[in-house]
Amino acid sequence: MAPAIDVRDLRKNFLTPFRRRKVEALRGVTFDVARGEIFGFVGPNGAGKTTLIRTLMGLIYPSSGTATILGHAIPSRAARFRVGFLPESPYFYDYLTVGELLDLAGRLFGIAAAERKKRADALIDRVGLGRARNQSLKKFSKGMLQRAGLAQALMNDPELVVLDEPMSGLDPIGRKEVRDLILELRDQGKTVFFSSHILTDVEAIADRIAIIARGQLQAQGSPSELVKRTAIGVDVTVRAVATADDALAAIATGTSHVRRAGDVLTLMLPADADVDTWLARARELDAKVVSVAPRHETLEDLFLREIANADASSAATEGRA
Amino acid sequence: MTASFGRIWAIALNTFREAARLRVVYGFAVVVVLANLFAIVLGRLSVHEDTRIAQDVGLGAISLVGSLTAIFLGLFLLYTEVQRRTIHAIVSKPIERWEFVVGKYTGMALVLTLLVALFALAMVLLLLQQGVGVSMPVVEGIVLAWIEVLVVAAIAIFFSSFSTPFLSAIFALALWALGRVTPDIEAAARDGAPALKVTARIALELVPDLHLFSPSGRIVDGVATSIHTDFVSWGYVATASLHGLGWIVALLAVACLVFQRRDFV
Repeated sequence: MAPAIDVRDLRKNFLTPFRRRKVEALRGVTFDVARGEIFGFVGPNGAGKTTLIRTLMGLIYPSSGTATILGHAIPSRAARFRVGFLPESPYFYDYLTVGELLDLAGRLFGIAAAERKKRADALIDRVGLGRARNQSLKKFSKGMLQRAGLAQALMNDPELVVLDEPMSGLDPIGRKEVRDLILELRDQGKTVFFSSHILTDVEAIADRIAIIARGQLQAQGSPSELVKRTAIGVDVTVRAVATADDALAAIATGTSHVRRAGDVLTLMLPADADVDTWLARARELDAKVVSVAPRHETLEDLFLREIANADASSAATEGRA
Repeated sequence: MTASFGRIWAIALNTFREAARLRVVYGFAVVVVLANLFAIVLGRLSVHEDTRIAQDVGLGAISLVGSLTAIFLGLFLLYTEVQRRTIHAIVSKPIERWEFVVGKYTGMALVLTLLVALFALAMVLLLLQQGVGVSMPVVEGIVLAWIEVLVVAAIAIFFSSFSTPFLSAIFALALWALGRVTPDIEAAARDGAPALKVTARIALELVPDLHLFSPSGRIVDGVATSIHTDFVSWGYVATASLHGLGWIVALLAVACLVFQRRDFV
């Protein structure tokens, strides 16, 4: 069976309006999404996440490279029958109610009237918009619009759901509800491909993750493959009785990530540091040890490292040019 | 084919709903009512020309205000879909882009047809107020004005498929104005200086002959026509309508091709 999404060396160049300067939004992106998995696509603003998603959904044309959705080469109307899509910061016809929006979506999928009504009612309840059923979208908050967008993306009971920043604009409860909905979709056997820059959300639910920066994939794999489980340092918190700057500087010698809040110092020792010796020296300087804990790499650490690498690589390339 | 019609109809109904909530459309309708009221005043000032003025102003208002409404809707409704990104949630569904363009045009055509019917009703009420029935030439004139409005809507959609509203408005108004003076362009192609002749001939190929839709005062088949005396036959109306339909199909086809190639960023 073909992957849900298969992208090979995808490139997209734009020309700036007046000077016609070439801007490379996607620079040879290659990855695939297996059926039935949740795939998180992360990157900073302007990295190329939305460009890639819009290319997959047939909104923009690639400059080169290939991509298939559910085995169909893009742009494919046959594939779009089986895909649900939530655009970034969704804009809908604000004079419609959520029911009318879903009815319009259902008509475009060729769903019969009775079935459209049934599905729309069920989805409105599922995304928690039952009370706003008769309000026009103009009166919806950003979070409510996001929920309406999710509902219209599910109107065709899709095999693949593509969500561009689905947690954007939602409060913590809304974010959890969307995370639960994504997990529920996977449990139903659907594939979910979503972009986000909220790393904790991605780490919490994605089976696999890809990091994109400056139009290129920097890393991809499962969270356990990407994030090292070995300790990258030791977090130490001490209460420093001595408040003189030179005493504090002595305590912090050989450490990094130093933060001070009143008389409490939080810092990180290198992973290979002799912790016992350091603690003994700290005690000699009248510091009381509050906590000692190994630090493991997080997705945020990985993300920041990959972004920094991409920036450095790009700066070097521009320097050579 | 039925599925394609269903998708086009869904976009058309939505476009109708969108256009119906635009206050400016109601503004255009008010202008037509005021024009008809103004015709009453002009009729009182004239010497036994009430009916002639009512018919001229009524048909003129349908043609002029209908065309301006068509240009406004054509520019506004398609461009805002792209600008506000509402199109992202639509063309990502299994709808062909040409179906979307045709659906938008169909929705606009429905609104414009309703408006022309309202404008015509205003004129008919004015004629009835004057104790005059509705003559066949007046009906023919209304049909021709309606077709003209639909052609102008296609012109607006065509420009809107690739240009900004400001530029599209200039292009559409220019093409509409040129289309209304095709007899003068024909005269230039026949009697003008050599360079002007070539330009005029090219223009005649590129500009829809909108003057066909307001034949009153022209010589048609060697006979002077007037809405008030001898007007054109229904055969003429059918031929002119086919001509208009040809332009509508051609303009929409090019608009669809352009729209097909666009990136929606």
